[in-house]
Amino acid sequence: MSAVAVGPELPPDVDRQVDGLAPAELAVGVLTYNNAATVPAVVEAVRGGLEKHFTGARAVLINADAGSSDATVDRLADSGLPFVRARHEAPAAQLGAVPFHGVPGRGAALRLAVAVARRLGARALLVLEADVTSITGDWLERLLRPVLEGGADLVMPIHARHRYDGTITNLVLAPLVGSLFGRRLHQPLSGPRALSARALERLGTEPRWPESGRSTTDLWIAGTAIAEGLSVHEARLGRWRVESSTRSTDLPTMVAQTLGAVFAVMEDYEDLWLPTTNWLAVPADGPPALPSDEPVQIDVERMVGAFTRGLRDLGTIWEHVLAPDTLGDVLSLGADDVARFRFPDDLWARVVYDFALGYHWSVVYREHLLRSLVPLYLGRTAAYVLATRPRDAAASEEALGVVADAFEREKPYLVDRWR
Amino acid sequence: MKNTARDWYKDAVFYEVHVKAFRDANDDGIGDFAGLTESLDYIQELGVDCLWILPMYPSPLRDDGYDIADFYGIHPSYGTVEDFQKFLDAAHARDLRVIADLVMNHTSDQHPWFQSSRSSPASPYADYYVWSASDRRFADARIIFVDTEKSNWTLDPTRRQYYWHRFFSHQPDLNYDNSAVRHAMLDVMRFWLDRGLDGFRCDAVPYLVEREGTSCENLPETHAILKEFRAVIDHEYGGDRVLLAEANQWPEDVRPYFGDGDEFHMSFHFPLMPRLYLGLRLEDTRPITDIFTHTPPIPPTCQWGLFLRNHDELTLEMVTNEERAFMYYAYAHDPDMKLNLGIRRRLAPLLDGDRRRVELLNCLLLTLPGSPIIYYGDEIGMGDNVYLGDRNGVRTPMQWSRDRNAGFSSVEHGQLYLPVIADPVYGYEAVNVAAQTRQPSSLLNTMRRLLAARRTSSVFGRGSIEFLRPRNSKVLAYLRRHARETLLIVANLSAAPQPVELDLGAFAGATPIEMLGGTTFPTIRTAPYFLSLGPHGFYWFGLERPGDGDEPFGIERTAI
Repeated sequence: MSAVAVGPELPPDVDRQVDGLAPAELAVGVLTYNNAATVPAVVEAVRGGLEKHFTGARAVLINADAGSSDATVDRLADSGLPFVRARHEAPAAQLGAVPFHGVPGRGAALRLAVAVARRLGARALLVLEADVTSITGDWLERLLRPVLEGGADLVMPIHARHRYDGTITNLVLAPLVGSLFGRRLHQPLSGPRALSARALERLGTEPRWPESGRSTTDLWIAGTAIAEGLSVHEARLGRWRVESSTRSTDLPTMVAQTLGAVFAVMEDYEDLWLPTTNWLAVPADGPPALPSDEPVQIDVERMVGAFTRGLRDLGTIWEHVLAPDTLGDVLSLGADDVARFRFPDDLWARVVYDFALGYHWSVVYREHLLRSLVPLYLGRTAAYVLATRPRDAAASEEALGVVADAFEREKPYLVDRWR
Repeated sequence: MKNTARDWYKDAVFYEVHVKAFRDANDDGIGDFAGLTESLDYIQELGVDCLWILPMYPSPLRDDGYDIADFYGIHPSYGTVEDFQKFLDAAHARDLRVIADLVMNHTSDQHPWFQSSRSSPASPYADYYVWSASDRRFADARIIFVDTEKSNWTLDPTRRQYYWHRFFSHQPDLNYDNSAVRHAMLDVMRFWLDRGLDGFRCDAVPYLVEREGTSCENLPETHAILKEFRAVIDHEYGGDRVLLAEANQWPEDVRPYFGDGDEFHMSFHFPLMPRLYLGLRLEDTRPITDIFTHTPPIPPTCQWGLFLRNHDELTLEMVTNEERAFMYYAYAHDPDMKLNLGIRRRLAPLLDGDRRRVELLNCLLLTLPGSPIIYYGDEIGMGDNVYLGDRNGVRTPMQWSRDRNAGFSSVEHGQLYLPVIADPVYGYEAVNVAAQTRQPSSLLNTMRRLLAARRTSSVFGRGSIEFLRPRNSKVLAYLRRHARETLLIVANLSAAPQPVELDLGAFAGATPIEMLGGTTFPTIRTAPYFLSLGPHGFYWFGLERPGDGDEPFGIERTAI
């Protein structure tokens, strides 16, 4: 294996491996980093899914690995499927502190998978995560079928989750990305996805890939696909269970990394979102399912307490980031009575947009800016839980739709101040 | 952002400023409230929370305004009550609070109350002051200004009686045994509190009441009156106005001024300040650690006020004779630098303009238990002029820029209330706000960063202190704890690099996060924790234990 950066050409050793393989109809990319414990479940699902749903189709397994020191690569190589192994570069910092998506240098891994799939002449590339053990063979069908038979170019996942799972995604990322790109993607940073040959061709010849060390590539792919008029679908998958000892569960880190990824895409690819003024529905395939709503322990009081501490401790940063009116509205949110605490959607949208603008104009050190959003996010999340807890899962979904409406409604606020 | 807690003063950093010295908006050579109002952005950006305004009232200025001739007005040189109101409102709009000096013990002899009182024993104000036919009463009370006063009594030729004064003879003491005086002074306080003032720094409070056979200082009757004042103010103003006592006494003697949390909210910690300078010069932590062993606990709602310098001389009343001699040797080599029992110099020249030492002392100021008070100009390292007489050398115009009169005023140089500092080292052409604002590594910007870091944790204002005892006595190390948060401060008092091993076994598993740069240091083990510090270097660490602050909200594992 080589550790050569992935440029327009494949690294020589990967090139040789691909030369030795016949063209494939399907390419399955598994992005790994020390996933020996969980990757067999993924391989099993891939094999089962191919046998069950794509009998006879020639498939190649592509492993883009960030430098695993365990048996991850060997276990994938033993899958019995035609196999391409490729090691990609990853920033040293991400090898030590693995980003939220579990793969140091995920952008390089994606680029590698796209390049190999393109060389193989694949009709579709399926990208999978190596530490998601709830995967079943049916996921392959739901992600790939819209590409192979439905005219989709990019299929993104909708995982079945508890209504209070994914609060960063539901309350920040999804509404923000939706308003930017004009498509309400449910889980824009979730890992599995499928790409058509057309998308591979488009991306393969795209000169503007994000730097490999940043976690912006997934968003850039989605934004590029939408801006280019490619057909974007969603596929409803099952539960999403991650078994990872490396992915961070530190809230400030997760907020900083995910939101930082969105802000970086906004900064680097203005053309993908600034002109967007209309919002279209995203076709979704698979059986609809409401989020589960069994009782869970969420300490709303502590979350409101964290919000209140933020008001006290982070005021000097927020004063630089938030517009005076926004800051005034945030300050007047009454947090004394937790049960009555609310955080209006329009205000929340403006808060997030002000942070995007603060990032854009570098009003404070960007890492500090991103992390200082955490108490606001906790306050907004607490308000969401408080408002929806007495109601059912459908009402929770409805509330998220209202959040998305607010982000779309307030987008001119962002655009006016961006330029 | 405004701290809305009733005990906001526990988290606050104070900024002491003289109106006449800050900015002259009407071009008469004397700073004024309009100028101070114009300068509020600067003060806000510095990162302080509360301004302490030195005496602002009409006064003959025989004691720099501490001789008040009218409690209800503003000195005409500084503006009007309306100007003050505009200033106060503008400060509040920036979430800055304001407290003002108030002299409770005495007035100017020009005050109408005294003029009436002296006119006749039948005057309605006859008993507003302490009169006597004899100058032998209260003979056990010491004379404070021994250089200028021979007695605490002075014969008034009009009333032909003696009046009592603990300070200058032109400052007659009010008679607090007279309930009318107490009511009158409460009305004075109400007048300013009604305008929104956030509290008072109360000058010379130990001397309110006199009793025969006592020192006439710190008497129970004085405390009873102060408690009465506090109760009224708390009751009428909602409990978030602060009273800061000036009682230049040992901590155990100051302690009663806190009462049971029902007298003063704050009091200055006078003895600590000279020991910071001593420790630095001796390169020895003991003067600093020792004074804390002599500092009694105070009620939880109370707070010490800490300072490095102020408008007075660096007072050495609270040190031993040997320590005082050493301080003079170390910090006042020129006799003109001495005044009374102290040294009339500013922070930067005291420390020979050594940035590292200036930063180190500010580090200690901001991290020891209490609310720091920064004297205007010290945040840019302003110099002094000991040849201006009295304490005028540390009260010169603020140095805003290298423009005419340091940007303080546009009058002719000779019209200034005091000349600007113009020497080659500390003069306004070398040391000014405009230049330091532009230079990222300037003292001003360093102070801003330190103040910003201090704002990130309530431990600084509210935490306990526990000194570590490393073998290297040149390195001061202490833990500050509040609620679940622990900070570790390590400071090198030496001008040479120093190693230090700290016993942090109780924190094994915790990770020190350096607060100014956010750098993660190696995890603490049971073995001694080794650090090396550059000359006068310091670290502020947050100690994060695994699991600290990690009681789950319940959303973490699935938040994305």
